[in-house]
Amino acid sequence: MKKSMAVSLGLVLSVGLTACSSNASNGSSTDQLSQSTGAGAQEKTKISYWTIDRHDSDYIKQVIDEFNATNTDNIEVEYVVKADDYAQALDLSFAANQAPDVFRVKEGTIQTYYKKGYMAPIDEYLTDAQKQEFMVMPNLNQFDGKMYSLPNYGSTMRLIYNKDLFDKAGIQNPPTSLAEMVEDAKLLTEAGKDIGAYGFALPFKSPNSAWDRSARVIAELSGYGGFGFDFKTAQYDFTGFKEIAKAFKQMYDDGSALPGMEALDIDPLRAQFAEGKIGMYMSYSSEPGVYKSQFPAKINWAAAPVPTIDGTVKGASGFLGGQWLAISANSDKKDAAWKFINYMYGDQILQDYHEQGYGISMVSQIIAKAKQPDINGIEGFLPNKDDGVWPIKPTVNVEGAGYQETFFKYMLQGGDLDKEVEDLNTRYNAAFAKAIETGDVEIEADPGFDPTKLGGAFAQ
Amino acid sequence: MTTKTIKLRQAKTSAVTSRSLVSMLTKVALWGFLVIMAVLILFPIVIAFLGSFKSNAELTAGSTFLPKVWHPSNYADVWKLANFSRYTWNSVFVSVFATAGTLLIASISAYAVDRMDFLGKKFYVGLQASTMFISIGAVVLRPQFELMVGLNLQTSLWAVIIILVSGHASTYFILVSFMRGIPRELDEAAMIDGCSRLWIYSRIVLPLLAPGLGVAGLFAFRHAWNEYILPLVFTMSQPNLQVLTVGLASLRYGISAASQTHYMMGGAVLSMLPMLVAYVVANKSFMQMTAGSIKG
Amino acid sequence: MRNLKQKLPGFWFSLPSLVLTLIFSVYPIGWAMRYMFYDYKGYGTERFVGLDNFVRLLSDEAYWNSVVNTFVYAGGKLAITLPLSLILAVILNRGIRGKGFLRGVYFLPTIISASVMSVVFFTVFNSYNGVLNQLLVRYGIVERNVDWLGVDKAMLTVILIAAWGAIGNYMLLLIAGLQSIPDDIYESASLDGANAWQKFIYVTIPMLGPVLQMVIMLAIINSLKGYESIMVLTEGGPIGKTEVMFMYVYKLFFPISTSSNSMEQQLGYGSAVGFVTAIIVGVVTLFYFRLSKRLNQVH
Repeated sequence: MKKSMAVSLGLVLSVGLTACSSNASNGSSTDQLSQSTGAGAQEKTKISYWTIDRHDSDYIKQVIDEFNATNTDNIEVEYVVKADDYAQALDLSFAANQAPDVFRVKEGTIQTYYKKGYMAPIDEYLTDAQKQEFMVMPNLNQFDGKMYSLPNYGSTMRLIYNKDLFDKAGIQNPPTSLAEMVEDAKLLTEAGKDIGAYGFALPFKSPNSAWDRSARVIAELSGYGGFGFDFKTAQYDFTGFKEIAKAFKQMYDDGSALPGMEALDIDPLRAQFAEGKIGMYMSYSSEPGVYKSQFPAKINWAAAPVPTIDGTVKGASGFLGGQWLAISANSDKKDAAWKFINYMYGDQILQDYHEQGYGISMVSQIIAKAKQPDINGIEGFLPNKDDGVWPIKPTVNVEGAGYQETFFKYMLQGGDLDKEVEDLNTRYNAAFAKAIETGDVEIEADPGFDPTKLGGAFAQ
Repeated sequence: MTTKTIKLRQAKTSAVTSRSLVSMLTKVALWGFLVIMAVLILFPIVIAFLGSFKSNAELTAGSTFLPKVWHPSNYADVWKLANFSRYTWNSVFVSVFATAGTLLIASISAYAVDRMDFLGKKFYVGLQASTMFISIGAVVLRPQFELMVGLNLQTSLWAVIIILVSGHASTYFILVSFMRGIPRELDEAAMIDGCSRLWIYSRIVLPLLAPGLGVAGLFAFRHAWNEYILPLVFTMSQPNLQVLTVGLASLRYGISAASQTHYMMGGAVLSMLPMLVAYVVANKSFMQMTAGSIKG
Repeated sequence: MRNLKQKLPGFWFSLPSLVLTLIFSVYPIGWAMRYMFYDYKGYGTERFVGLDNFVRLLSDEAYWNSVVNTFVYAGGKLAITLPLSLILAVILNRGIRGKGFLRGVYFLPTIISASVMSVVFFTVFNSYNGVLNQLLVRYGIVERNVDWLGVDKAMLTVILIAAWGAIGNYMLLLIAGLQSIPDDIYESASLDGANAWQKFIYVTIPMLGPVLQMVIMLAIINSLKGYESIMVLTEGGPIGKTEVMFMYVYKLFFPISTSSNSMEQQLGYGSAVGFVTAIIVGVVTLFYFRLSKRLNQVH
């Protein structure tokens, strides 16, 4: 092995080397890089589509295959499903000038992507019919008067619970207040002792991921901004999370939470839930799709509105969406990209998407004619009078630990919660003030803002 | 025979038995320690190996040590479905070229430093030494990435290879220490014959440096094969360029990952395998390499 | 002139190496030293902010927490690795049966990628269905699953994993050191009536001095710098319990986003943190150099 390595190295070196005595420094650099790499006639226009959505991948793959087979413009779409590294990968792909032509945008990311200049406006492509059909939602698909994406489906957030374990524990209904949730978690854990099941879990490997699918919606339904931003005063105020953090901590201290959830990602959590090891958790309406295909559930489960802080609804449970696909600003195949998007937003696909339960349509024309989604567990996710679209909170770069991390820390270790909240308010508002100063963020106080009025627009 | 001598004799024998008892006990303790260490070291590797033959359900339940039914098909699935054929090819590609490049660049400069006086030699040696000690961590990745975008290499694995080759300081030091062992008389004689430095390097020094190249090459290969963060960042947006380490770690988040622990174990074994084979074949060189680096 | 001509070939020979090093190792440091005075998110405008990043760093608890963690991690790793590798080296340096095989076994982990092993170790250590917990529970050693990656034990777990990967390496270096100790020193010690323990304390350790110092040096640097396995296993969590300095730096450059929340890169601040971290590692290294030099003088 060693010998062959040295020999091959010698071979490499001897190329272009002259023999003894002759002038060795002729410096002939044989830089004839073969440039002619199959530059034949391009037959297909290849575009790529990236998404973070995994729950619908079987269906979307089939839809894209059909597009590739049938479109008359010779367009071929490469379908790439990314996981948790989606945002990072997208950033890097733009930094590397090789961004996908079409990519998935979400309500939490579209603003940032707009600021970064990732998306191309699509107004010129839109037909009048499309302008009619798809709702314009400022800051969600429209920025500075230009459209960048169109709504397809929205996600609701719910408490997902293991019906079998609830029955076993003798609990009739899912909890509606934090106090009930804590109590139920205890009972569920007690009832699940023989099979090693626990009452409650959240994927706290990423505190943000855990918090933003649970405490956020509890706060929203209780009338607080889900990200700690108070739209009335245009200030950050995390007071609304206090009781929630206390309840989570109580469940953790009671031993009603799945041990090891500190290191849990959402997928392992789902795997455990599908096995019946978890009593309840909170998440988005993509869960039915997940338990249909990725982790076939071995238990009976259902979804219910999340509990509120004190049992009364004072706000609206976030209905997330308003955007789906966007075209990359850097794409040199924007027309082909639009043709693909146009196909994807076709009525039949949107309707199938809804009816097969991958997401709840936000397009009124589709809602009007589509049947009830046909997938186990979706009933609980359908928008009701308390689901509504919240305004978008400003993105700020806070110094020090984020609030999710801070509350998670409190949950595990305790401490002075009032002081922590005060500190969070100070730090977030400082960062917010800075962002306004540099012009990164523009937002004004809305004294008339009333979270109870947000709900109901999409009720089915 | 007096009672005295008998007593003496008894005392002697008991001393002997107690001494042999002590040495027995030491031996047992010694071997106990060695065996426990070996078990602890091998445990995760064995777990991965056995796990790679289990069904997913069996792994998740975790009730068995040996697979109930052996599923060699896991490997076929990992190879095809989880795209490990692609990852393996990429890993081989990166590791081979990074190793060859590292050896080439490091050996020629090691030759220069050991045998010649040249402009800025002190600066050069100091620079190499300091790159081994100074680290700003992931900060370098961003400018390196921008450089590669500037060179338009960000879409290929050559970016990873070039950066791996650029980190050749430790290879260089190993080769310098081996270079010292090659007698100077040989190249001096060739110099008198009028041979060029390049000729001497390629025809005389390199073949004699073979053991050093083998050792340093294994070192460089291991480094390239096992590198994770660099290829992770450079191939994050290009799944078809990912190497084994990155592909395996991303299985945790794969489309239907996490539940597929059997693929993860299979993938882990697949990515260890080439190094294990190299290790069994060149065990001595590995040891020598580590021991050799002491002198460098 | 002639002198210069003689000096040129060597320069050309080292040039490729020099150029690569300058471009890919030195330039990035220069890049960081510029951006540490800027506020830059990787897109849009970069703003000069003077020393703001360093002021922020001073009060960045999460960072200083990671500094403390790094030392706990490095210290823990050294405390486990060094004694064990020394004991193994001493035992295996003697002529016992199967020593070649055993050396091979102990050295095995060092050829396997830390990231790959971390994937395996995750299935060993994870709390809900990890192999280790199943064994411990089945044999009644513990009653309930131990939260190996939880708040209390995550650091211990990553230290154990790091030690697992490092013992073989230092063992081998120490064996090489042991073999360079001449036998006659042991013989004369035996003639003086020294027992095995005395020989170890009065002959082996002092004679091993330089090698031991180098091994400790390597171990310190490696454990201050390494974060691959932490990245795969815990990403620094839970609540920053396994956050080490370089993991923290990585996250500022490549923030780990979630689907609902896109995090922004902080290249300016990250550069400042990386720079300060490099200085901390440098100071520790220098301090150790000084210390070992002084020790040498005492001996």
